[in-house]
Amino acid sequence: MTLPDTISDLLGIGGIAGDLVGALLGAVLVGSIILAQAAVAGPWAKRKITAAFTDRIAIDKIGPMGLGYIIVDSVRLLSKELIIPEGVDRPAYDIAPVLLAGSALLGFAVIPMGSGIQLADPEVGLIYVFAVASLASVALVMAGYSSNNKYSFLGGLRAVAQNLAYEIPLILTGISVVIFAGSLQMSEIVAAQSQTLVELGPIAIPAWYAILNPFAFVLFLAANLAEVGRNPFDLPEAGQEIVAGFQTEYSSVYFVLLYLGEFVHIFLGGALIATIFLGGPAGPILPGIVWFLIKIWGVFLLTQWFRSAVPRVRIDQMIEIGWKGLLVLAFANLFLTAIIVGVLPT
Amino acid sequence: MSEWIAIGALIVVAVTIPLAMMFVSWLIRPSVPEQGKRATYESGEVPTGSSRQLRFNIQYYMVALLFVIFDIETVFIIPWTVIFDDAVSEIGFVDAFLPMAAFIGLLVVGLAWAWRKGAVSWVKSPKAERQRIE
Repeated sequence: MTLPDTISDLLGIGGIAGDLVGALLGAVLVGSIILAQAAVAGPWAKRKITAAFTDRIAIDKIGPMGLGYIIVDSVRLLSKELIIPEGVDRPAYDIAPVLLAGSALLGFAVIPMGSGIQLADPEVGLIYVFAVASLASVALVMAGYSSNNKYSFLGGLRAVAQNLAYEIPLILTGISVVIFAGSLQMSEIVAAQSQTLVELGPIAIPAWYAILNPFAFVLFLAANLAEVGRNPFDLPEAGQEIVAGFQTEYSSVYFVLLYLGEFVHIFLGGALIATIFLGGPAGPILPGIVWFLIKIWGVFLLTQWFRSAVPRVRIDQMIEIGWKGLLVLAFANLFLTAIIVGVLPT
Repeated sequence: MSEWIAIGALIVVAVTIPLAMMFVSWLIRPSVPEQGKRATYESGEVPTGSSRQLRFNIQYYMVALLFVIFDIETVFIIPWTVIFDDAVSEIGFVDAFLPMAAFIGLLVVGLAWAWRKGAVSWVKSPKAERQRIE
C-alpha cells in the first residue's frame, strides 16, 4: 500500500477527493523528509566531513558542533542581493534553478523509503527515476547558456558532455538489476532482494544485488558520481579551471536553489543505489525508514570522501573514461548478468 | 491512476518549494541597483564580445551524436531485461540471449569504428599543438 492510500484511509476520505488529499499530504511529507536531509543536514555535514578529512575543525562557534550555522547560513544566503547580470536570457535564466531543484525532488516519488513511505509505485518506476533525473542536464544547459558568461557557457557544455557520456553506463548497469528482478517496479525490486542468499551461522546474508553482482554495483557507483558531478568528475563547475562553471553568474536565492538541486541529486543517487543494490529499506531491528536513511547517508559520505581524496580528471580523460571504459564495461556487465541468470540454477 | 495523481502532487510540491524560497528571499533581501556590478565575470576584465557566439570544440557534437544512437539502443534493451528470466524458462537461454547479443554486438562494432575514427578521443586544435611548449 502506498503512502497516499494510507493517508486517505486514516482520514476516512474515499473516492477521488481522498486520492487528491492523500497524494498532496504524502507529497508534502516526502518533500519534507528529503529537504531535511539535503537542505538542512547535508550542507552542514558536508562542511564537517570535509573538515575531518582535511584535519580541520570547520564551523563550531554557533550552537553545539556548529549546528546553529544551519539557520544562520540559510538566512544569510536568502538575504543576499540578487544581481541579474547584463544580457542574460531572461526566462531561461530564471527557470534553470527551479528546474534543477524541482527535478531532483521528483525522483523520490517512486523510492520506497520503508515504514510504508512510498508516494507512488508505478510499473515503470525505475525508468521514471532515470527520466526525471536526466531533466537536470536540461537545467544545467539552460543555466550555462543563458548566463551570458563564457565560463558558464563552457560549464554548461561540459555538463552536457559529461551527462551524455555517463548516462548510458548508468542506465545499462541499473537495468542489469532488472534481469534479476524481472520487473521495473520499485517495490518488486526491493522484494526480490529480501530473500536470503546464504546462512553463515546465525547471520543470514540477504540477496542484495550489491552482493549478488558487485561488478555492477561498483560500475553504478562510478557512473553515479559522474551524474551528480562530484569528484573525480566535477568538471562542470571545476573551480580552478572555469571559476564555478554554470553557476558563475547566479547569486542570492538562485545560487541557493542550484546548490540545493545538486544536494538533492546526490541524495537521489544515494536513494537509487540503496533501492536497487542495497535492499532498499531492509535491515534488522531498526525500522525501515532508519535503515534507508543510514544507507543514503552512507552513499553521501562516500561522495564526500571521493571529494576530499580523489583529484579531478581532465576533460579529455573524462570523455575517454566514459566512452571507452565505462560503456564497454557496462555492456560486459549486462552480458555477464544475463549469463548468470540464464545459465545458473536459481 | 492514483499513482500518477501522487506524482502530480509531488510536481506541485517540487515547484512550490523553490517558488516559496524565492518569495521569502524577495521579502528580506536588499536591492541596490547599480550598473557596474551587473557586468558578467570575466576574471576582472571588461567583458568582450558575446558569449553566445563562442566557437567551441567539435567534440561536444560528436559525443552528442553517439549518445542519440546508444540512448535509443538502451530503450530497446529495457523490455528485454524485463522478460529475460521468463523467456529463459520458456524458450531456453540460447534463444533468449543470442538475438540481443547480436543486436548489442552490432552497436559495439559501431562503437569500435567510432573509436578508431577518433570520435571519442578529444579533438586537439592544430594551432594549440604547434604552440605547445614542453
